[in-house]
Amino acid sequence: MYKLWRIFKFAIQGFFRNFWLSLVTITMMLMAIVSVTLLVSIDYVKQATIAGVEQKVDILISMQYEIEREDVDTLVLDLEELPEVKKVRIISPEDNMELFKQNNSNSKAIKALDVFEDDENPFGYSLAIQAYNLDQYKTISAFIEKEEYAGIVKASTFHDYESFVNKINNLSKILNKYSWYIIAIFAVISLVVIFNTIRMSIYTRKDEIVIMKLVGAGNWFIRAPFFIESIFYALVSVLIVIGVTYPIVNFIQPSLTNYFQDTQVINLAGYFQSNFLYIFGWQFLALATLNVVSTAVAMKKYLKS
Amino acid sequence: MIKISNLSKIYNKKVEALREVNMHVKPGEFVSIVGQSGSGKSTLVKMIIAEEKIDLGQVVIGGWDITKIKDREIPTLRRQIGVIFQDFKLLEKKTVFENIAFAMQACGFKPSVIKKTVDQMIALVGLKGKTDRYPLQLSGGEQQRVAIARALVHKPKLLVADEPTGNLDSINTREIIDLLKKINNLGTTVLLVTHNREVVNNLRGRVITLDNGYVISDQQKGRYLL
Repeated sequence: MYKLWRIFKFAIQGFFRNFWLSLVTITMMLMAIVSVTLLVSIDYVKQATIAGVEQKVDILISMQYEIEREDVDTLVLDLEELPEVKKVRIISPEDNMELFKQNNSNSKAIKALDVFEDDENPFGYSLAIQAYNLDQYKTISAFIEKEEYAGIVKASTFHDYESFVNKINNLSKILNKYSWYIIAIFAVISLVVIFNTIRMSIYTRKDEIVIMKLVGAGNWFIRAPFFIESIFYALVSVLIVIGVTYPIVNFIQPSLTNYFQDTQVINLAGYFQSNFLYIFGWQFLALATLNVVSTAVAMKKYLKS
Repeated sequence: MIKISNLSKIYNKKVEALREVNMHVKPGEFVSIVGQSGSGKSTLVKMIIAEEKIDLGQVVIGGWDITKIKDREIPTLRRQIGVIFQDFKLLEKKTVFENIAFAMQACGFKPSVIKKTVDQMIALVGLKGKTDRYPLQLSGGEQQRVAIARALVHKPKLLVADEPTGNLDSINTREIIDLLKKINNLGTTVLLVTHNREVVNNLRGRVITLDNGYVISDQQKGRYLL
């Protein structure tokens, strides 16, 4: 019990009495985990952007003018039976008129409505169809183009998006493939930096280890405070990263929201909030483990004397 | 207390640091081991405290044959031998009290026992009032006193002093030697390794002289020969 308490006490003493060394060690670790946090953020922004764009994409079907609601509902039921269809939204002629007015309030196109009476509506029904993923739009598109629907479907606008959707899809695949390489490179760099930082730190204090050994301390009594100290380094580094990440994320969040004109597309602050333990917990565990292993390796030769 | 038989140490299969050394130190003796640089004095100390492995021969300390000592037994051996060094080997980031207490803390002694023993040692070496200072805030002589106090906390039967006055001026040298004599008078066997002629001649005790790894002389009332 006394030994355990002393080990903690020595670790705290070692941390504060070698303050500058602790500071340098923590700074090096910070660089490594800030890089990892940045990478995590970029990965999230990438995924959220792609998901956001995917959400914005849909097939818009304009129905023939004379089509009644019952026919529209039948088509909707047929579409909903397709496994590729996520959601079908019916846009009524009234809604279409409103949308037209909103979108063309400052253009001459709105004058086209003047030829109609007030109680007349030149718009028919429309359907906005969303798929689960971008690849499925082709199937849905082909389904609509069937002959049996030729009489009720006037036009579909998916083709306008097709090349754009394909580009996004390809970009997403490339990013997903290479982000693993980037993560692996960052992980290796961080590992090497942290391992060598710990080695330098232990090298600086090698005399201390040798002296402890010479006055009869056992290997574990010498090692344990260094292990705990290395866990402190991990804890302080992660706490600093948490302290820095949240204000930065909260600062840039409004810009991201403005850019996408939608809070749901990239919610970086929410992402860090809901994945707090996953991101920072794993960072702490990985860093602490790496520090302890590096410390054990670095101390080994000085404990042989 | 110390029985060394046919002890040799060869580094890299070429350099013979010790050759066929034989010596027997009785309990309570004050023995000076002298010799010029490279004569094998420090190697001998390193083998007594198991800092170097024994290649040939036998070393017995207080009845314990340490010739084939295992790594895990070394801390136990070092708790039974007090050692002081020329460069003091104090923990720079620990205070005087903490430096002395450390050896006992490593053994799991109760804080009250540690406090009592450390206070006694501090009084013995004359460092009262300086317990909260760090080594770098002390003079060389004071640092060596801290090292002596630390070496004595386990109440060892043997104190090995490896060039303890090598970094000290003549006044501090005399004070440290007087302190070692006082410790010897209290019953501790002292093995003083030195090349300080004046110190050895003033002691008028047993002197073992090493030269080129060999014991060339062992006199009961000796003088510095080289």
